[in-house]
Amino acid sequence: MSKPIFELVNELPTSGATVMSLKALDYVVPGEWQNISGFENMITLVTGESDQSMIQQIGERAITLYNDPAEGYQRAVWLYQTASSVGGKLGAAALANKIGESVSFLSFLEKITPKADKAQAIDFGIKVSAEIIAYAKTNGIPGDGVAEFMGAVGDYGKESIMRLAALTCFDGLIPLGPDFLQKMEQFIGGLAPADLTSHPAFTAVASAIPGGGVDGQLGFIQQGFNSIKGWMGNFVSSKGLTPQGVVGSLKNFIDVSDDKLDYVAAFLDTTTNYFDYTGTQTVARRLIERAVAEI
Amino acid sequence: MKFFPSFLDVRRALLVAVLLSASLVACKKEDPRWSEADKKSKEAIEAKKEAQESGALPKPEEGGSFNKFFPKDVAGFDITASQEKTGFAEYKLKKDGKDLAMIAISDVANNPQAADKFKTATKKIGGFPAVDQGSTATALLVGGRYQVKVLSRAPEFTKADREAWLSKVNLAGLAAFQATK
Repeated sequence: MSKPIFELVNELPTSGATVMSLKALDYVVPGEWQNISGFENMITLVTGESDQSMIQQIGERAITLYNDPAEGYQRAVWLYQTASSVGGKLGAAALANKIGESVSFLSFLEKITPKADKAQAIDFGIKVSAEIIAYAKTNGIPGDGVAEFMGAVGDYGKESIMRLAALTCFDGLIPLGPDFLQKMEQFIGGLAPADLTSHPAFTAVASAIPGGGVDGQLGFIQQGFNSIKGWMGNFVSSKGLTPQGVVGSLKNFIDVSDDKLDYVAAFLDTTTNYFDYTGTQTVARRLIERAVAEI
Repeated sequence: MKFFPSFLDVRRALLVAVLLSASLVACKKEDPRWSEADKKSKEAIEAKKEAQESGALPKPEEGGSFNKFFPKDVAGFDITASQEKTGFAEYKLKKDGKDLAMIAISDVANNPQAADKFKTATKKIGGFPAVDQGSTATALLVGGRYQVKVLSRAPEFTKADREAWLSKVNLAGLAAFQATK
C-alpha cells in the first residue's frame, strides 16, 4: 500500500526546483497556487477551521477515506505520481528538490538529452489522460469522464489550474514552441498502437487508461487531447503566453538560459515533478473537503 | 571545468550532505498526531465492509441520488457540483466568482458516529435536529440517516447564512426519500 495521505502532504518540499518552477508560473494564474507545508496547515487552509478538535476529526476522516482503495483517491495519487515520474528522472532530481539551493542549469547540460518531439507529444497526451482519469477518481464522475472533465476545467482553481498552467508551459510551449498544439495534434493524431506499447510512460499508466485494449486506449488518449486543446489554446492566447515570457519568469527563480529551449524543457522535466506535487495537493484538498462535510 | 575543488566547494558539499541527511531523518520520523489514526483506519475500513456485507450496517446510497435535493437556481449565485461519491454529494456556492460556501449531503452509513452529535442538539432547522461544528460548519440530520451540512468558505458567510442555506435544501424531499428506504 502507498503512503498515507498525511505523509504525502507532509513530505511535499517547500523549496527546491519544483517549488521554484511553480512560483515562476504565478504570473500566469496569480495567487492560485500556494506553497503549503504540512497536513494540519492544509486542513486549516482548505476549511478555514482553527478549532483543534475539529482539525483532528477532519484529519482522521480524510486519512480513513484515503486508505479505502474503493474510494478512488489512492488511484488518483498513483496516476499523478506515475505519469510524473516516467520522464526518465535523474537521481539528481531528488537532490534538486531536497536542498534549498538553486540548481545550476549549466551543470545539468551534459546530463540531459532533449526529448524527440513525438515522445514529447506522447508524454503530453498521457498526462492529459492521467488528469482526466484522476479527476474522475477524485470527484467521482461516472463513465470515462472526458465530457464531464471538460465541463469542470472551466471551474479549475488553486493547484489544479496551476497544474494545467505548468502542463501548458513546461510540457507544451517551452519544448515545442508557440504552435505546440498544432504539432501535437499531428503527432497524437498519427499515432499507431505500437507507438504507445513501446513508450515507457504509456506502459506505466496503461492499467488505468480505459479502452479495453491498446486500440481503445489510443482512442481515449486522442479524444482526451482533442477535448483539451481548445481550452488550452484559449488559455495561451487569453494570457498572452509565449516561451520567452515563461522562460523570462523562470529566470527569476531558476538559473536557466533562454537560447536552448529544448534543453530548458528537458532540464525542467528532469529536475521537477509539478504534476505529482500539485496532484497530491488537489487530492488532499478534495479529501479534506469531503472529510469536513462527513464528520 | 575545475578539477580541484576549492575550500568553498568543499564547505558547500558538506553543507549539502548535512542537509540531505537531515531531510532523510525528517522523512522517517512518524507524525504522532496522525500515525495512530492511520493504523486504526485500516481496521475500521475492514470492519465497516464486513458490517455492510452482513447487513448489520446499511449500504450507503449513491451520491447521485442526492443531486435533486440541492438548491440549483438561486438568483445571484452560482451553484456547481463539486464531488459525487458513494453516500456523498457536494456542491460549491459562489457569488461573483468568489467561493462562499460548500453544501453537502452525506449518508451516515459511511461514518455512523457522525450521527451521535445530533443526540444532544438543542436547535432545529426545518424541523430537523441541527448543530454547529467548529467555527465554519452547521449541520442537520434528516431521518437519522442523511446529514446536510453547509460550510463557510468566506468570512462574510456567517452562521445565519449557513442556516438560511440549509433551509434552501429540499429537506422535505430528502425525508420523503428516506421514508421509501
